Amino acid sequence: MGNTLAIAHKEIKSYFASPVAYVVIGFSAILFGWFFINLLYYFDRASMQAGGGFGGPQTVNVNEMLISPLFMNVSVILLFTLPLITMRTYAEEKRSGTIELLLTSPLTDVQIVIGKFLGCLVLYGAMLAITLVHMGFLFAFGNPEWRPIAAGYLGLILMGGCFLSLGLFISSLTRNQIVAGMVTFAVFLLFWVINWIASFTGPTMQTVLNYLSITEHLNDFARGVIDTSHLVYYVSFIAFSLFLTVRSVDSERWRG
Amino acid sequence: MIEVQHLTRRYGPTTAVDDVSFRVESGEVLGFLGPNGAGKTTTMRVLTGYMPASDGKAIVAGYDVSEHPLEAKRRTGYLPETPPLYPEMTVRDYLTFVARIKGVPRSERKTRVNAAMDRTRVMDMADRHCAKLSKGYKQRVGLAQALMHNPEVLILDEPTAGLDPKQIIETRKLITELGGDHTIILSTHILPEVSQTCQRIVIINKGRVVAVDTPENLMSRLGGSETLYIQIDASGSDATATLEAIPGITKVAPADVRGSLAGFEVSSEMGHDVRRELAAAVVGRGWGLLELRPLRMSLEEIFLHLTTEDTAAADTPEQTSMGAPPEPATLPEEATHG
Ligand SMILES: Nc1ncnc2c1ncn2[C@@H]1O[C@H](COP(=O)(O)OP(=O)(O)O)[C@@H](O)[C@H]1O
Ligand SMILES: [Mg+2]
Repeated sequence: MGNTLAIAHKEIKSYFASPVAYVVIGFSAILFGWFFINLLYYFDRASMQAGGGFGGPQTVNVNEMLISPLFMNVSVILLFTLPLITMRTYAEEKRSGTIELLLTSPLTDVQIVIGKFLGCLVLYGAMLAITLVHMGFLFAFGNPEWRPIAAGYLGLILMGGCFLSLGLFISSLTRNQIVAGMVTFAVFLLFWVINWIASFTGPTMQTVLNYLSITEHLNDFARGVIDTSHLVYYVSFIAFSLFLTVRSVDSERWRG
Repeated sequence: MIEVQHLTRRYGPTTAVDDVSFRVESGEVLGFLGPNGAGKTTTMRVLTGYMPASDGKAIVAGYDVSEHPLEAKRRTGYLPETPPLYPEMTVRDYLTFVARIKGVPRSERKTRVNAAMDRTRVMDMADRHCAKLSKGYKQRVGLAQALMHNPEVLILDEPTAGLDPKQIIETRKLITELGGDHTIILSTHILPEVSQTCQRIVIINKGRVVAVDTPENLMSRLGGSETLYIQIDASGSDATATLEAIPGITKVAPADVRGSLAGFEVSSEMGHDVRRELAAAVVGRGWGLLELRPLRMSLEEIFLHLTTEDTAAADTPEQTSMGAPPEPATLPEEATHG
């Protein structure tokens, strides 16, 4: 545990010592703010038409009309920012040779992989924390339900965890962080458009593809529903990616 | 204590290390000498548990590195060929991180970090980012990293590569100090390096051990002669006979001729400095003396020498290591003083 935290701590420190953390947090804050204002404007008009206006008697549900679509939009932000978080994790250690320090220290591969994953997750958490400010506005000027919001955040953390663990694995395959970043983006894009592809296929294929789509599983969370099947999907996705990363680091040892 | 038994390591079709065996006793400093691509780094990577062996085994501080990797790693300090530094960390932060992952207890971390910085003289750079260190400091911080948990065994891959002469002397001194308390393997492709710091030398070439011996024995095995290069202006006359007549000179071989200038490689008996006599003879004949310098044996020549010597010994069992090589080998100048 101590070893895992030591790695996580090192990762977090180096994110904040480089521009990565600030770029990721800044970019997502701007994009999220833009989505927020647009949806707010749309919501405001919708509730005006329904009578009352924003802050007035709730005839239009703020959770359904504003917060839920907002969560779904976050997946676009993740598509661009999470590759930046994961691309350097292994690739840069391999390029600079610091991987030799880690692999010759009394640490297990699992400790290193989990430590790095936690480091990514903390930076992603910091990125999400910014969005709490926007949510704060909604609580200040309206009265949304907090449970669906909490479920939404849980969904976002899990979905982000999937992307991050996948990115970590891709980073472990190369010693070039730019290549890692680009491949990760391409793979994320694939997972992101899978359900769009699904709409052109037959019903069986559609079910399969929808199940595979990382973002599809966020729907229920965004609506405030915590369904075990989605939890199982996300958690097993993360576990499997981390397992692949451990295997990849180990096989690298053989190749040298 | 380190024990390497029939170690083989392949990268796909290439065999980088081929059936290597040797032992390093506790407190001993062993030099691992070989040209680039000999397999030094590969052997060290197996010893440190960075990569597995294809065959054979390695025992470090009493633990088989493939069976008990964590136990072996706890007792090993490793300085890779490129010091494994994180550019964005300060030296102190970096060493504190190293202390943490090497298992130094929290309460001792600060003292150990300071002790390591003291020992390697990087204290004045404690708050500087690793990216901004000079090559010499990077190497020393790398060494501090290897010493951090006061390991029984130290494995140093070319610890003086890229350092200036003053830093090389300092590093050698530090390594000599560390020997005794630690079992050390250091690799290098420079012969004087090992003859000065090591009690024993393993010479490796193309993945195979060529010789294991003390520096003194190796020097004497490398043959009883020294070679000088001399360039003279003998204006047409043949100088070979004159040079051969000088007492102590065993062989004179013409090296190059440029107009009236002639260069020769002059071999003499081991420990017999003929430079004065040579100069006197040349000047005495009224010739011009343009150059006179000792020729050093390159590592390649040493391997050629040691391998031909071994095959000669195998062919004719009664012949000992004194058996003369086909070409007289020159001895590195430093070696005679080391
Ligand atoms: N990762 C690798 N993949 C393939 N071949 C390698 C790898 N590392 C080293 N080699 C080869 O193995 C041989 C020994 O290399 P190395 O151990 O680095 O030698 P040294 O440290 O003595 O210079 C060389 O021929 C080198 O090309
Ligand atoms: Mg090497």
